Amino acid sequence: MKNEKIDLIEDTIKTKNIEEYEIYLIEKKIYETMFLKSEPEVEREIEDFDYFIRILTQKGDQTGVGVVKGNAMDSKEIGKNIDTCVLLSKNNITSKYRFPEKKSISNIIIADNSILKDPIGIKNDLCEELISLVKDQKGVIPTFGRLRLHIKEELLRNSNEVTLESTKTFFYVEYSLKAERNGKLSEYWNTEYFKEKEHLNFKKRIEEWAKIAKDTLIAEPPKPKKDAIVIFTPHVLRQAIIPVIGFHVTGQSFSEKISAYKINDEVATKEITLIDDGLLAGGLSSNGWDGEGNPHQKTEVIKNGIFQNRLYDQKYAILNGEEPTGNGIRSIFGGIYNGISNFQIKPGTTSLEDMISDIKEGYYIEKFSWLNPEEISGNFGAEIRNGYYIKNGELHNPIKLGNVSGNVLEMMKNCLCISKEVEFSENSLFPYMSFSNLNVSF
Amino acid sequence: MSEKSFDEIFSVFEEISNSYKRSNQYFDILYDSESSTLITKSRTSENIVVNTKKSGIVARTFTGTWKEIAITEFSNIKKIERKLPRVVNMGKKIKEFEGWSLNEEIKPKINPLEVPIDEKIKKIRDFYSYMMKFDERIINTEVRYLEYFTERIFFNNEGCQLRQVIPRSSLFIIPIAKEGVVADFDYYIDSGEIGFEIFDKVDNNTLDETAQKSLDMLQAELPPSGKYSVILDPGMTGVVAHESFGHGLEADQVIRNRSYLKAKLNQQVASEICTICDSPTMDNAFGTYFFDDEGIKAGKNVLVKDGILKDFIYDRRTASALNAIPKGNGRRESFAHPVHPRMTNTYFEPGDCSLEEMIEGIKYGVILVHEYFGMEDPLGGGMQNTSKKGYLIENGEKTKILKAVTLSGDVLETLHRIDAISKGSIEIDGGRCGKGDEDYVPVGSGGTYIRIKEALISPG
Repeated sequence: MKNEKIDLIEDTIKTKNIEEYEIYLIEKKIYETMFLKSEPEVEREIEDFDYFIRILTQKGDQTGVGVVKGNAMDSKEIGKNIDTCVLLSKNNITSKYRFPEKKSISNIIIADNSILKDPIGIKNDLCEELISLVKDQKGVIPTFGRLRLHIKEELLRNSNEVTLESTKTFFYVEYSLKAERNGKLSEYWNTEYFKEKEHLNFKKRIEEWAKIAKDTLIAEPPKPKKDAIVIFTPHVLRQAIIPVIGFHVTGQSFSEKISAYKINDEVATKEITLIDDGLLAGGLSSNGWDGEGNPHQKTEVIKNGIFQNRLYDQKYAILNGEEPTGNGIRSIFGGIYNGISNFQIKPGTTSLEDMISDIKEGYYIEKFSWLNPEEISGNFGAEIRNGYYIKNGELHNPIKLGNVSGNVLEMMKNCLCISKEVEFSENSLFPYMSFSNLNVSF
Repeated sequence: MSEKSFDEIFSVFEEISNSYKRSNQYFDILYDSESSTLITKSRTSENIVVNTKKSGIVARTFTGTWKEIAITEFSNIKKIERKLPRVVNMGKKIKEFEGWSLNEEIKPKINPLEVPIDEKIKKIRDFYSYMMKFDERIINTEVRYLEYFTERIFFNNEGCQLRQVIPRSSLFIIPIAKEGVVADFDYYIDSGEIGFEIFDKVDNNTLDETAQKSLDMLQAELPPSGKYSVILDPGMTGVVAHESFGHGLEADQVIRNRSYLKAKLNQQVASEICTICDSPTMDNAFGTYFFDDEGIKAGKNVLVKDGILKDFIYDRRTASALNAIPKGNGRRESFAHPVHPRMTNTYFEPGDCSLEEMIEGIKYGVILVHEYFGMEDPLGGGMQNTSKKGYLIENGEKTKILKAVTLSGDVLETLHRIDAISKGSIEIDGGRCGKGDEDYVPVGSGGTYIRIKEALISPG
């Protein structure tokens, strides 16, 4: 069906003698159960479909790029969309651009066949497992949750005879577990995408979430400290590193003269090696190709603390005379932006337990309210939702409220320790890391 | 989805809605379409993206629980009937509301669809060029213009036959200043249920001020950490009303036993000078509409009157469970997203102080300016609201400029410590708000200036 759709669009483009074009189709199937407390309350089945057309008009050393999004498949509407796209490409002026050529693409598997065969059955089994485990937890009450299974099919074709297709499966899980005693309330509220069924690991997760919810019931505000040592979990680390470091290492931030990083600069402690890997098995953003059809690859961004390589999409690679690194991301509007695929930080040699035992006084952050650092400066300040105060090498007491503030660019230079344990968190595979010189206030 | 006139959609929806008897089960069906133009420009990039029309249909039935199907092809409409089974005697599982009819389009002063694309691009390029010439320390400027039209057609088996078309526009201008290794920015934003007239508000003075504000950020210092008297500008006031307080009033949190406000109805939750409202009926505000995505007529909701909590925010399901009157807060991001009870335009009513008096009354404190982001904590009643910048107040005077400031702490304690609200007209800023991490809907929030004693702040 998808091929028929793309053929129809391409045939219409060809009748209009357009030389440089790209068609990108995306079909999504979503199966979701939403829970009220521990009972299913909403069952949803969603079919969604979009197509994006990009047309180029070359203008000497510049290019006009038109982008149109739609989902109407009758020929009249397709024809109108193509005409609009041509008009946009004539009016737009941007730096030189051409669509990627045909290249060798890694054939990695990003769909679970059992899900493709029986998505509703798999979702229902997972819901049953999740709810049974939630109900088993002592001392916590479920308030609500969502479990969603996604099947995403993408097809890309351009005028350079690039034809690519992929099918991806992944999950979304949200659950809130509440603890209550003597009128005091606390919760652990998790929201996260998971690429693989094995990553869900409900038994371990639900027990951990329940423990954190119960611990938070007796949480105290953190003791203020100006030069605090703070441990970030892999999940928290993703929220800090991807928006800031992911911004400063792109060809776009370099070209726009906003990047804080120069090649060969010492940007992190020597223990930090950061890799962008669009082929990472289990990474949420993994695929053989990026949003515009360039092959995904593994790029060493920071090696032993030294900035090595920028990440390029096609546009910024051309602008800087470099090769694209597979870092063109398709936005929901249909355009391409220069971003990261999956980030990976090489693990250290210390266990998390030893990392904690080496800290005389510090803080362990399980979850912030919203860690949303400002990407250019790297500054952040976030309220602690779930965490622990570390005293004499032990998690001494749970903490809540109060703020941790600092700067992500500086944090990278103030890393004290990297754990040997690593965990997936959406499009990252990160260890636990401790940092010095952060500000904890209450 | 293939192009259909709304008459054709009305006819199909009426037939399918009537085939589910209300006495047996509740049923509704929604057509959702969005068309948009997005233009962005920065130092190395100019993008123009037109969504000519993205549309879909979602239908659902309530028989004790919801079952919901969404499709993007009109030809698949029979799938809805196959997937949503007809049952008997389940109609009373959810409260019945009276059906009504409406067919309304909000007409912007200047319809963006009638403005040629080259005229729109010229505006964006002119803004960009002007900012880049302002000062050599402006190293980049991002200009972002978005216009979009949302059409929603809603039918149910209670007799609702509704259609609305709503235009929305937003304009961001972000000049980025850099000197040495310090880079920072401030921004200009405007948004609302308006059309191309959004550009009329931006003259050279506006651009000069925006560029200068970014340059001023180069001198900004870190704010102090701890408990101080603070003043929130109208944007930050709105973030407190919406993020910190309003999310805890969404009645799904109440029936989940997940709201710290559940037991507070008719109790004092804020200082008695506070009145907080939510209203989808404010002219030109981003969160305004005629009916919600469950066919409920939009109405003003006084949430807090003189510091006393008066009401929650309901969708059909929660209004039914709590025997309340819904005021049109059941909203979806699109046909592909579920309904939740959501805020619309949420704001503090003005008070009777002047801003000058409020500043004069502070020996050492901070003004938080230009909302940046906030996050809800409906169960714990904590808060995290960050401003882009601030100003120190020393001995009753505004002095140094400060970098981003985060306001945190306990929401109710903070609301009780509000000791002054400025007079004047309410300012509403528009944006998109998620429920947790997703399901984004257009909302407005605002008020006037408020002053809070002993508020917990730190660098943001």
